[in-house]
Amino acid sequence: MTPEKTAEAEPVTAEETAGAAGRGSADGAGEVPVLRMREALRDAMAEEMRRDESVFLMGEDVGVFQGAFKVTEGLLDEFGEKRVRDTPISENTIVGAGVGAAMAGLRPIVELMTVNFSLLALDQIINHAAAIPYMFNGHVRVPMVVRMPGGGGHQLGPTHSHSFEALYLQIPGLLVACPSTPADGKALLKAAIRDQNPVIFIEHESLYGVKGEVPEGDRIQRFGEAAIRREGTDVTIVGVLKMAHVAEQAAETLAAEHGISAEVIDPRTLRPLDLDTILESVRKTNRAVIVEEGWPHGGGGANLSTLITEQAFDWLDAPIQRVTGADVHMPYSRRMEQAAIPHEENVVEAVLAATEGAR
Amino acid sequence: MTEIVMPRLTDSMEEGTIIAWLKEDGDEVAVGDELVEIETDKASMVYEADAAGTLSISVPAGETREIGVPIATVGEPGETGGSSNGAPPAAEPETAAPEAGEAKADRPAAAADVGADGDAAAAREPEGRTAAVATADGGRIKASPLARRMAADTGVDLGGMRGSGPGGRIIKVDVEAAASGGQSAAPAAPAPAEGGRGETETVELTRTQRTIARRMAESKATVPHFYLRTEVRMDRAIAVRAAFKERGDGAPSLNDFVVKATARALREFPRANGSYRDDAFELHSRVNVGIAVATEDALIVPVVADADRRSLPEIAAESRRLAERVRSGEITPPELAGGTFTVSNLGMFGVRGFDAVINPGQAGILAVGEAVERPVAEDGELTVGRVMEMTLACDHRILYGADGARFLAAIKAGLEEPGLLA
Repeated sequence: MTPEKTAEAEPVTAEETAGAAGRGSADGAGEVPVLRMREALRDAMAEEMRRDESVFLMGEDVGVFQGAFKVTEGLLDEFGEKRVRDTPISENTIVGAGVGAAMAGLRPIVELMTVNFSLLALDQIINHAAAIPYMFNGHVRVPMVVRMPGGGGHQLGPTHSHSFEALYLQIPGLLVACPSTPADGKALLKAAIRDQNPVIFIEHESLYGVKGEVPEGDRIQRFGEAAIRREGTDVTIVGVLKMAHVAEQAAETLAAEHGISAEVIDPRTLRPLDLDTILESVRKTNRAVIVEEGWPHGGGGANLSTLITEQAFDWLDAPIQRVTGADVHMPYSRRMEQAAIPHEENVVEAVLAATEGAR
Repeated sequence: MTEIVMPRLTDSMEEGTIIAWLKEDGDEVAVGDELVEIETDKASMVYEADAAGTLSISVPAGETREIGVPIATVGEPGETGGSSNGAPPAAEPETAAPEAGEAKADRPAAAADVGADGDAAAAREPEGRTAAVATADGGRIKASPLARRMAADTGVDLGGMRGSGPGGRIIKVDVEAAASGGQSAAPAAPAPAEGGRGETETVELTRTQRTIARRMAESKATVPHFYLRTEVRMDRAIAVRAAFKERGDGAPSLNDFVVKATARALREFPRANGSYRDDAFELHSRVNVGIAVATEDALIVPVVADADRRSLPEIAAESRRLAERVRSGEITPPELAGGTFTVSNLGMFGVRGFDAVINPGQAGILAVGEAVERPVAEDGELTVGRVMEMTLACDHRILYGADGARFLAAIKAGLEEPGLLA
């Protein structure tokens, strides 16, 4: 099967999006529609699949079951079995098949039910998807998107609560996206599908229901552009996925109860990372707090902290703080699990430590 | 990883000052090892480790913390400092490691300041901030990268500057203040105030002095004092004392007689041995008499427990022992606790009589003056006797006039007829 790449399509109109796969609550003409994350992601896939015949979807329960988290709802109905393929429970094979399909010219979207199961596909992700373009000196490309949600907080225990952003951002050849809002989810996923590189598209189980404004039209969000969620002057707080929301809540509390003005940055993609925006912020605030859900050692925060220290050392008025998940396997007990995940209070505490003496 | 917090070493302690770390940061400690010397509101005490492992100090010597605030951790070697056992997310304060390293260097400067010998004459640095003095602690100046750059740019000298950051780190606000001429170079010496009263030296209080100030003010403000005065003929007591002296050392002092007579009277008048608290009288079953002892510049009140059950020689021995321990600084909080009444004697300084301030929580205090030779009238004849003034201050919420008077009379009776004290 050697499908041709379709030409750049015209921007998709609102009606087409509405007709195809159901609609989130729209507030009427002229207002920006509000969608849940899962709907925004679904719309991204539907629009790209309409645009480009080579785009197809593979994964466990993506078709008949409408998606383990209902992200792919309605797609089987619209696009049929050839382009929405239910697979057996076989992560390594699913990704491997995706690699092969991508090498042959298709644009697979591989859905893994959660990041936890991607561990079973690491060989295909790291040694194949990420390495093949290099090994083949660019003659062969792997334009595959691997979509999977991560994170904890639902009492699913140590084997089903991982946050592996740090693992994937390490690997050359992979792009890594971590959207925290529906608008970013849709725009980044569209960009990912159109990209020639293999993309690890990390979603979050707790964010699928989050609502947000999603502007209409064929919007693409480029990788490597961070979003400044809140402007501030006293400290820079950085977080992705659910931690981006935690950071924003902490900023509210800091302003209301401590008179501290925090700048919140959501990098949106970890590879490529928009380090410039972060550095510019740190040069302004002189303090940084990084919040991440994963483990502390060798985590994304450790890496980012070092980058900031290397490149903005003379602007630092305090050591960079990290707020991370606990260095334990995720507990099953609800209270212990909550204690193992960063919350707003932890971020506030870290900011207070970073601003000690300067308030 | 075990967290070590500022311990509650006395029952009235709210915060403690770390006098010195007896182990160094990074040392291996075993259970029972002496870890740190802490100054409480009453005395300085050594706190022992109750866990084994590697010590990681987070609060340096010289600093004061409220009880319950973490001051160090003891854990497995290689464990990152700052995170408590397992579950909570590690908000890694990177200040923990560099601060701990500096704590050793800070100790020489801080130890000299803490007055275990009560020497508060030298001006002390404000508590809670360790000055980042350039040469005193080995040459290393603690300053953030930003502060260093700003100092270099503006020509400000970091040496001798006081830092506002954690552990005395010089940070941006400090350099800004210095650049605009706000900071004096030497943090240690307070600026003398010139004026009509000449140069003023500001002396910071020791913990004990602060406690005394607080409790005395509290007592005067909240306890309704009234005073009963009497004079006691001490001739018989003096004779008994002389008899003891003939038999050897350890003769009871006149104050010991007063303590014994007071203890006996306290047993007879429970309200004098009680406390007024929250609309109730608390009547204590033990009679523990505190003896006020003056040190170089503090007032410490060790307690002779169960004074009513001790004989005169026993009270003499105990009061001597306690006074010695106060003066050597070895007195411990248990020896200062549990007093139900206090006797204060300024007779050795030639004071005839005075009014003392009641110790909060007690019903009264007996102030005793010098037993002086005076003309006295006896059965219409003029003669000479040894007369000692005593003033009983009473808390009018529990000890009323008549009761107080009877109580005072009972003490006087015991002193004028020492046979009653047997």
